[in-house]
Amino acid sequence: MDDPHLNRDVLVALQEVMEDEYPVLLDTFLADSEERLSLLRQQKDAGQLMETAHSFKGSSSNMGAVRLAELCNKLEHRAKISPRSDLQNLIREIDLEFAFVRPLYEAERERSLFEKATVRRF
Amino acid sequence: MTAVQTPFESLTVLIAEDSAADRLLLSTIVRRQGHEVLTAANGAEAVEVFRQQRPQLVLMDAMMPVMDGFEAAQQIKALAGETLVPIIFLTSLTESEGLARCLEAGGDDFLAKPYNQVILAAKIKAMDRLRRLQATVLQQRDQIARHHNYLLNEQRVAKAVFDKVAHSGCLNAPNIRYLQSPYALFNGDLLLAAFTPAGDMHVLLGDFTGHGLPAAVGAMPLAEVFYGMTAKGYGLSETLREMNAKLKRILPVDMFCCATLLCLSFQRRSVEVWNGGMPDGYLHNIASDERTPLTARHLPLGVLSPDTFDDRTEVFPMAVGDRVFLLSDGVIDTCDANEQLFGVERLHQVFTANRQPEELFEEIERALRDFRGEARDDVSMVEVSLLDATQMRPPTLVYSDSGQSCPLDWSVSFEFRAASLKRFNPLPYLLQLLLEVHGLRAQSGALYSVLAELYSNALEHGVLGLDSSLKRDALGFARYYQERNARLDALHSGYVRVHLEVVPTGEGGCLLIRVEDSGKGFDIARVMERPAENVRLSGRGVNLVQQLGRNASWSDNGRSARVEFFWDALA
Amino acid sequence: MSVVTEVSQDGQKLTISIKGRFDFAKHQEFRESYENLTPKPESFEVNLKDATYLDSSALGMLLLLRDHAGGENAEITLSNANADVRKILAISNFEQIFDVA
Repeated sequence: MDDPHLNRDVLVALQEVMEDEYPVLLDTFLADSEERLSLLRQQKDAGQLMETAHSFKGSSSNMGAVRLAELCNKLEHRAKISPRSDLQNLIREIDLEFAFVRPLYEAERERSLFEKATVRRF
Repeated sequence: MTAVQTPFESLTVLIAEDSAADRLLLSTIVRRQGHEVLTAANGAEAVEVFRQQRPQLVLMDAMMPVMDGFEAAQQIKALAGETLVPIIFLTSLTESEGLARCLEAGGDDFLAKPYNQVILAAKIKAMDRLRRLQATVLQQRDQIARHHNYLLNEQRVAKAVFDKVAHSGCLNAPNIRYLQSPYALFNGDLLLAAFTPAGDMHVLLGDFTGHGLPAAVGAMPLAEVFYGMTAKGYGLSETLREMNAKLKRILPVDMFCCATLLCLSFQRRSVEVWNGGMPDGYLHNIASDERTPLTARHLPLGVLSPDTFDDRTEVFPMAVGDRVFLLSDGVIDTCDANEQLFGVERLHQVFTANRQPEELFEEIERALRDFRGEARDDVSMVEVSLLDATQMRPPTLVYSDSGQSCPLDWSVSFEFRAASLKRFNPLPYLLQLLLEVHGLRAQSGALYSVLAELYSNALEHGVLGLDSSLKRDALGFARYYQERNARLDALHSGYVRVHLEVVPTGEGGCLLIRVEDSGKGFDIARVMERPAENVRLSGRGVNLVQQLGRNASWSDNGRSARVEFFWDALA
Repeated sequence: MSVVTEVSQDGQKLTISIKGRFDFAKHQEFRESYENLTPKPESFEVNLKDATYLDSSALGMLLLLRDHAGGENAEITLSNANADVRKILAISNFEQIFDVA
C-alpha cells in the first residue's frame, strides 16, 4: 500500500532505531514542525523562507512525510522567484498537509506507548 | 580475496544539525553504531564544541542559523590543522553549485536526507579509514624527521672531527687558492695540503665514491697517512703506496678514491704529479700561456693490491709564478636542463678567455652558473702557485717528547745497496734519528733539504749515472725522470753510504754528515766555478748544500760529500 | 628489464647486458645477475652496447664483479662501449684491469 502522505516503512525503521526514544522523536518532530509553520506564515524575506522550507523538507523526509517534503521542496525552489501570492498558496497547502499527517503521528505515538506498556507486562 | 578487517574503533562524532528531530534521530543512529555523540544546533556552537572536545568526525548540516555549515566547516578544518577531521555534510542539496561549495568548504563526503543508516555506517567507516591513514602518515613523517635530525647530527660530529684532521694542514699557505663547498666532505671531496720537512708542499685533491658518511669515513685514514708521512719527509711514491694499501685494506671492494697528488718543490722549481682517475689537471706556464694537461695515468686509490700498484710519478719544471690547477669532476659533469654536460671544451674556453689569473675561479663559477641556471655546491677547485722559496715560510714542527734528555755523543753509518736503493727511502728515518738531538730541531728544514740533496745526488748522479744537464727544458725533465726510473728498476749493484756523527762542543754541539756513493764522481772544481744562477732548472744542489750547512766540501773525485751543522746551548 | 643475462651452452661464460643508465639504481639487479650461478662461469662479458652512461657506482659494481670472478685472475671483458662510456673508462684507467673491447 503506497501511502502518498506517510511512508509506513520509514516509521517502522525509525521505531527500530529509536527504540524507547521513538515517542520522544515523534514529539520533537511535531513541536519542531509547529514552529516552522509559524515561521513560514510570518517570514517576509525570500531568503529566510527558502531556508525554513529547506529545513522543514529535511525533517519531513526523515520522518516519512513524503508529500509534506515534496511541498516544502517546491516552496524552497520558488521562494526567490515566484510572486508573493503564489507562495502564500503553497504555504497554505503545507499547512493543510501537516494538519492531515499530524493526527497520524499522534496515533503512532499512542500505539508505541501502548505497545511498550503491553510488552512490559511480561 | 580476503580483505583485511580493520578492528572497530569507537569514535567521538559531532552532529551539527539545527532541526531538533533530525538531530535526535541522527544521534541515536550514530550512537547505536557504537560511537560517542556530541551535538550542536548551529554552526557557531559546532565550532565551539569542536574547539573544546576535539571530536574525530563531524556530521554537519549545510544550512544552519547563526553560522552555516560551510563557514563552520572551514573554521573546524582550520582548527584541526594537519590532522584530518572528516566532515560529512548533511544535505539535500543536489545542485552542483551546492556540492561544489561543500567541497570548497573542506567537506569530505555527503549524506542525503532522508538518512539511510546503512549508507551512514559505510560512510563513517570509510572516513575513519582515511582519518587513520592521515594519522599514520603524520606519525611516519615525524619519525622520518627525527631520524633525519639524528643523521644530520652524526654528520655534524663527523665533520667536526674531520675538520680537526683536515686543518692540521696548510691550505691557508699564501700560494694556495681553493674553492670547496662546506658539504664537500659529504660529497666525498677531499682537499689536503702539508709541508714536508724540506719545505716542499704536498697537495692532494681526492674524490671518494659515494656520498655522505661512508665517503667521509674513508677520508680520515687517508688524511692521517698523508699528513703523517708528509711530515716525516716521505716522498709522493711512498705516501701513495701507503694510502693505496690502506684504502684497499679497509674499504669495501666497490669503494675507491680518485685522487691527484702533487709535490711542489720551491727549491728545485718542479712539480711531481700522480693522477689516479681524476679529471685532467692543468699546469699553466705563465710565460708562454700554455696549459699542459695533467692526465690520469693511474687507477684510483684502493683498487689495486700493493704488489700491482703503480706509484710512478711525472715531473714537470715550473718557473716562479706558474700555477697548477686541479678540479673535481663536479665541474665537467654539471648539466643543464637538457642534460648536456658542461664538458672540457667549455672549460678550455674559460681558460682562453681568462686575462687575470686571480679571477679564474670566479670566471669558472660564473660559467657554470650561466650554463646550469643555478650554482652548484659540490665543486672543488684548487690552484697552487710556485712562489720563490724565500716567500714560503713553512711552520715549525711539533715534537711529542718532553725535551729533557737526548743523545749527544754518537755516530752511526749506513750502507744502502742496490735492492734497498730501489724501493727504500732512508731519509725519513735518518731525519727522525737526527731530530732526537734537540739542538738540531730548529734547523730541521735545512737538515732535511741538505740530506735529501746529498742523497739524491749520490743516487742519481753517482750510482745511476744520470746527467743533470738533461734537465734543461720541460722535455728533458720528463726524459730525465723516465731514465731515472728505468735505471733504478734495472739496478743490481752499487751503494750509497751515509755517516752521521754528533759530538758536543761546549754548551752546544756539532753534526757531521758524510755521504758517499759508488759512482764515477764529477769534476768538483768545474761545478764550483759556475756562477750561482737562479734561473737554471738544475744543478743548484751544490749551492744549496753550501748555503744551508757549514764547511761543505767534496772529496774522492766528487764521490764523497761532507757538511756540518752546529748549534748553541738551548735557552 | 635493464640488466639481461645470457649463459653460454657449456656454462663457462656469462654475458651481462646493460641497458640505459648504469648507475646505483641497477646495483641489486647487477649483483643478482652473477652472484648465485653454479657452477661459477670461467669468464664474463659486460655488454655496454645500450648503456648510455656510467657513474662511479657503476665502476664500483664492476670491481665487485671482478672480485667475485677471482680478483687479479678474473677474465672480464667490457664490450661495445659508446664514446661517452669509453671516456669514463679511460679517465679512471679501468682499461688497465678490464679488457675493454
